[in-house]
Amino acid sequence: MSKKLYDLVAKVMNVPSSTINDESGPESMANWTSFKGYVLLYELETAFSVKFTLDEAMDVKKIADIKRHLENHGIILND
Amino acid sequence: MPYQNMLIEQKLSDYINKASDLAGKTFEKKVRVAILCSFTINGIEDAIRVKAADKNIDCTVYAGGYNQHNQEILNQDSDLYKFSPHISFLMMDTRNVLGEIFHFPYSISESERKSFIEKKIKEIEDLINIFTSRTKSKLVIANFNIPTYSSYGLFETKTEYGFHKMIEDLNHRLASSFANSGSVYVYDFNSFVSQYGENNVFDYKLFFFGDIKVSPDYIPYLANDFMSYIIGYLGITKKCIVLDLDNTLWGGIIGEDEFSGIKLGPEPPGNAYVEFQKVLLALHQRGIILAINSKNNYDDALKVIKEHPYMILREEHFASLKINWNDKVSNIKEIANELNIGLDSMVFIDDDPINREFMKLSLPEILTVDPSPDPSQYTNIIKKMNEFSALNITSEDTQRGKMYSEQRKRSELEHTVTDIESFLKQLELKVFIKSANEFTIPRISQLTLKTNQFNLTTKRYQESDIQKFSNDDKYFVGCAQVLDKFGDNGITGVFVVRKDNSKEWFLDTFLMSCRVMGREVEKGLLGHIINKAKESGVERIKAQFIPTQKNKPIENFLPACGFKKDGDYWIYSLDSKLTIPNYLVVRVE
Repeated sequence: MSKKLYDLVAKVMNVPSSTINDESGPESMANWTSFKGYVLLYELETAFSVKFTLDEAMDVKKIADIKRHLENHGIILND
Repeated sequence: MPYQNMLIEQKLSDYINKASDLAGKTFEKKVRVAILCSFTINGIEDAIRVKAADKNIDCTVYAGGYNQHNQEILNQDSDLYKFSPHISFLMMDTRNVLGEIFHFPYSISESERKSFIEKKIKEIEDLINIFTSRTKSKLVIANFNIPTYSSYGLFETKTEYGFHKMIEDLNHRLASSFANSGSVYVYDFNSFVSQYGENNVFDYKLFFFGDIKVSPDYIPYLANDFMSYIIGYLGITKKCIVLDLDNTLWGGIIGEDEFSGIKLGPEPPGNAYVEFQKVLLALHQRGIILAINSKNNYDDALKVIKEHPYMILREEHFASLKINWNDKVSNIKEIANELNIGLDSMVFIDDDPINREFMKLSLPEILTVDPSPDPSQYTNIIKKMNEFSALNITSEDTQRGKMYSEQRKRSELEHTVTDIESFLKQLELKVFIKSANEFTIPRISQLTLKTNQFNLTTKRYQESDIQKFSNDDKYFVGCAQVLDKFGDNGITGVFVVRKDNSKEWFLDTFLMSCRVMGREVEKGLLGHIINKAKESGVERIKAQFIPTQKNKPIENFLPACGFKKDGDYWIYSLDSKLTIPNYLVVRVE
């Protein structure tokens, strides 16, 4: 399931999926602008059929945060 | 074009990624577009660039700063003006414009609400007038979304000049103010939100997160609507829809199901085909040419077209009927020849994937449309197409269907007479020369934008350009209306002459619509220019032929009229004698 998340992040950020890991985020990726950040959250909502809260949307510093928020909505990404 | 792509857009991130691959690619046409917005609308520039590239247009986009539209328009040294856009889109959100009144419309009285809207429309008009006085750019201003919510709830519709009425009035006033403008267009953003749904387009979380008022999934749809203006501006509007018959205009196969067995009528699925035909007829009534390209027995198919009680499109609505067993590529080439239009101005609709594939491979310049396997979607698909967008619809456009029907009758006459001169004599051709004025300028501009074949220089002029020429003593601008015994062809010829000095005029633009090519009408129009030049004491007329891939038909026009080659130019000495065919009646109005 992590692959689905990584692939989507890679697609939105326009980087190879192999470069994505749980520590990837705006700090470590030049492509991760605030604009692409909200496009990512929006596309994640569609892909995983969830609706993040405003607090969750604002609290994304790295992929691990997204995983944590997805878990809040019952999406467990087991590798 | 796969039907799925026409109904369901790709994700915004797909457009952003594709846009990053456009660098270094070259395209046939170029356009500069500015986007000014009072809220965050990132990504639209990428979607527009990708959609433009799909139509072979290099679109450079200037995205104004967030909520900087006022400053950019008011400051004449702003980057907006330095960018010199051809088209500018201005989106101001209802919340921004109404301010606190957006939430508290009933904190003020009805008369205060009216005064408030009066003040707002004046502010917007002033802003637009400043913009149009400083740039030649077309301006497309989005109107205002009317939110579904009102604090008055059910009582909203019973309230005099209530919240919703205020915004409706603002929209109405905005449209009225610029209805007659050739440079300002109002985009119906309110309808856009209705079409896709307020709850989809507007996402509160994104709004609070970053003042985003159009959700990412809907940005490509908005870009599609904006593309309509770019298509209209560049004059690359499609002119003709070529249709298959079986399972396209009716359900079933006439050769197998026979007259009474085809699906066409008030019951499903026949009603889907009736609806599709109605949409096509409406397009025909605004100037889109219809033609048939079908593998069938001619008599079987024509019987349906002429006699079926639920057929909406009849013989007179088609400019050409290719119903035979020839291959569809040969047929469509013949249709293009008959109608004198370029293949790139044609759309081909056929339910059969093999026919479509054959067309796409053989003639990629034709837009081949997959109407989807489901006839209930045919109408939706045609309505989603922005290829028929035009910034102006002239009276010639609305008459085009009738004109092509008359053209078919001309062709029939042509086949009954043995030589071309007898044919032209029998046509009883009349050429009425008109000057550029408020009635003719939209059509003159349209012809310069659309005419490719019999066009000496292929210079494209917007209405504002023609207006400027017509107000300038250094220019002589006119057009020709062509009539014959079968009807009125409308304004089909245009000239723009630049008076370089007292002895020499320059033929900047000279064109004839393909509709009247081959009748020597052009000599009547040129004769008028020559007469005017003589009256003004001019000694010579200088002209230039700028070859393009499409204007071969006019290649020999200048030497045939007595122009002599002089370097890159052609010179007509006023001592020469141009013979105007005696079957032409030329009248100057």
